[in-house]
Amino acid sequence: MKFDISYTLEAFPRLLEGAFITLQVAILGFTLSVLLATTITVARTSLNSKIFNSILAFYISFIRGTPILVQIFLVYYVLPVFGLNLGPFTAGIVAITLNSAAFVTEILRGGLASVPVGQFEAAKSLGISGYALWRKIILPQTFITSIPPLVNEFTMVLKATALLSLITVVELMRVSQQIYSANYHPVEVLSGAFVIYFLMCFVVSRSSVFLENRFKVKRA
Amino acid sequence: MTSNFLEIKGLHKRFGNIAALNNVSLNVSKGEVIFVIGPSGCGKSTLLRAVNWLTPPDKGEVWLEGELVGSSSSKLTIKQSQLLNGFRARMGMVFQQFNVWPHLNVLENVVRAQLVVAKRKRADAESTALKILDQVGLQNKIDEWPDHLSGGQKQRLAIARALAMDPTLMLLDEPTSALDPELIGEVLTVLKRLVNNGMTMLIVTHELGFASEFGDRLLFMDGGEVIEEGPPKKILTMPKTKRLKMFLEKLDVTSFKKEEKL
Ligand SMILES: Nc1ncnc2c1ncn2[C@@H]1O[C@H](COP(=O)(O)OP(=O)(O)OP(=O)(O)O)[C@@H](O)[C@H]1O
Ligand SMILES: [Mg+2]
Repeated sequence: MKFDISYTLEAFPRLLEGAFITLQVAILGFTLSVLLATTITVARTSLNSKIFNSILAFYISFIRGTPILVQIFLVYYVLPVFGLNLGPFTAGIVAITLNSAAFVTEILRGGLASVPVGQFEAAKSLGISGYALWRKIILPQTFITSIPPLVNEFTMVLKATALLSLITVVELMRVSQQIYSANYHPVEVLSGAFVIYFLMCFVVSRSSVFLENRFKVKRA
Repeated sequence: MTSNFLEIKGLHKRFGNIAALNNVSLNVSKGEVIFVIGPSGCGKSTLLRAVNWLTPPDKGEVWLEGELVGSSSSKLTIKQSQLLNGFRARMGMVFQQFNVWPHLNVLENVVRAQLVVAKRKRADAESTALKILDQVGLQNKIDEWPDHLSGGQKQRLAIARALAMDPTLMLLDEPTSALDPELIGEVLTVLKRLVNNGMTMLIVTHELGFASEFGDRLLFMDGGEVIEEGPPKKILTMPKTKRLKMFLEKLDVTSFKKEEKL
């Protein structure tokens, strides 16, 4: 068995199409996950309700304590039983969102804990409250301190999307499988996918430094 | 009307077993400068924070210029909290720890509440901010990040941020206590300017020299109560109660008495 790079090159255009779907799923899922986690974080702090907190703790431990693959299958196969017929793409995004939101909620909890209570009080003492208090004063500080773990979580999401191939989402991994099951050259084809995954994750993790500079985390 | 510019009526606040405020009442006239002193934990901060409802009292009322700021700690309706935001904007507060916003530069720190609360246009808010930053001596720092400022500069920024809302009353909770000695002067200079401009102020401080020179009235608190109150010089030189005598002995008042003789 020789490694014949021509199979890799031949597969490349289709692999890139798959990578485009991978990026779409990852970006959409992660964006929704950040929105959900932000809502949860604000609700947890402002409601300060025991019931809400225990439901949240249950959700987070459920997500963290089970394999993401099981969660994906659960969303894909079990929800239709309750009349929710999501296609693989939508089901995949829902699963990724629900999974990632648990981790992002934990990240934002840490970020929020680093915002001193005096920051809230100064805003309130000027008459800033409710939505503006969060949007203008508290969340920007929370997100700025959370940039590195958030970027890291995005790379986790990006890699987890490969599992969606198992529920027939035609993303990078699924495309690779389709190609090598036709040409019987899995090593060449998967090497192509490997490089593309690596480059995507590499670019994303480098962006952490860029984002931190962009949002000027100026600490003396 | 002037006699009840700010009326504090029978404030009570408990934290567990501790009575942080025990039936505190106070009438403040417009332009009056009132200093509050007392041992640690006696309720000075709680008093200031009850006035703008940051710490809602268990019992009691606060009236500002004839309007009720709040009279119960039960959950506020949306309408009430909107009204409260308006009152708070009229009562500027300055904290011991500055609490400037680190994610906004100096100018934005002063602009932000003007946009959000006073609904001013950005251009108006910025010109107001520039004028006030000039008054507190930060005109050269408008693009700077708060984390690059000294403690004294941060506190002057915090004062500017409050002044931008055109407050009728300032509440200052130990504004110089977190500062290195050599930085206290620059903040006191700004505060003295406010006094001279006729700002009504409630100031918690340990700067007895400052209080006796600029205060119209001095309150001595202990155990959540106002124990003595009157003209600062009189209170400081002729304490009536044993508690105040002991408090003044503990604080090094020799420096204050020296100042008096000069
Ligand atoms: N959020 C709170 N929870 C519990 N106890 C509190 C709280 N805030 C204040 N207290 C207590 O209430 C009492 C009065 O506190 P306060 O902060 O008003 O004192 P202070 O006179 O400002 O003291 P200091 O000079 O140390 O600032 C203290 O015993 C304090 O421990
Ligand atoms: Mg205090």
